[in-house]
Amino acid sequence: MGIDLLFKIAGVGILISVFHIALKQAGKEDMAHLCTLAGFTVVLYWVVQLLGRLFSTVQDVFKLF
Amino acid sequence: MWIKVIGALMIIFAGISLGFIAAFRFNERPRQIRQLQSCLTSLKTYINYTVMPLPEALAASCEGINGPVRDFFSCSANMLAQNPMITPQQAFVQSILQLKGQLLLEQPELDLLTTLGANLGKVNCEEQEKYLDMVSQQLANIEIEAVQTRDENVKMCRYLGICGGLLIVIVLV
Repeated sequence: MGIDLLFKIAGVGILISVFHIALKQAGKEDMAHLCTLAGFTVVLYWVVQLLGRLFSTVQDVFKLF
Repeated sequence: MWIKVIGALMIIFAGISLGFIAAFRFNERPRQIRQLQSCLTSLKTYINYTVMPLPEALAASCEGINGPVRDFFSCSANMLAQNPMITPQQAFVQSILQLKGQLLLEQPELDLLTTLGANLGKVNCEEQEKYLDMVSQQLANIEIEAVQTRDENVKMCRYLGICGGLLIVIVLV
């Protein structure tokens, strides 16, 4: 995994916050929220994949199946 | 490695270009509306005081300006001069269709131009002057609205273009 993913998540967070501010200043608040939600979904997808790997590792370590 | 870097740079450049093109379209619309207003004012003068025929008046009214609005007026003037059977409205509609990609006007302005074409050359000079005044007034209102839209959207488009390119690069890397 490395530290790359953390930097990727931080980068996406920064860019999504810029998106949010730009859209909010243009008066498109609904689009701003939609954009934040899209960024959150992308990051959640990455994190869920890692959590899946974590759970399978725990299963392997304790010989749960 | 270098291919990745070059690809990332190309994606960022494409994002920036898209953002700036969208911003340019918002910037250009009020400018074209202003040009249209100035041409219509000249047209009013040529119709009222010089009493020129319509094709010549249209061609003369766009002198001194550049860009798609000039093309629109000269194209309409050419059509009217070459084909006497065509009405001014048909000439305007065909010119709008020909300059679709360059003329960055939206539906309200285009509708105004089409109805203006329907009224040009059919009534006496005074009535045409009144109608041109009304169209200029409506264009002024549309310009105010277009300037508001520009102020809201130009910065947003630039930011979204740049950040969108960066976001795609981060997600793909």
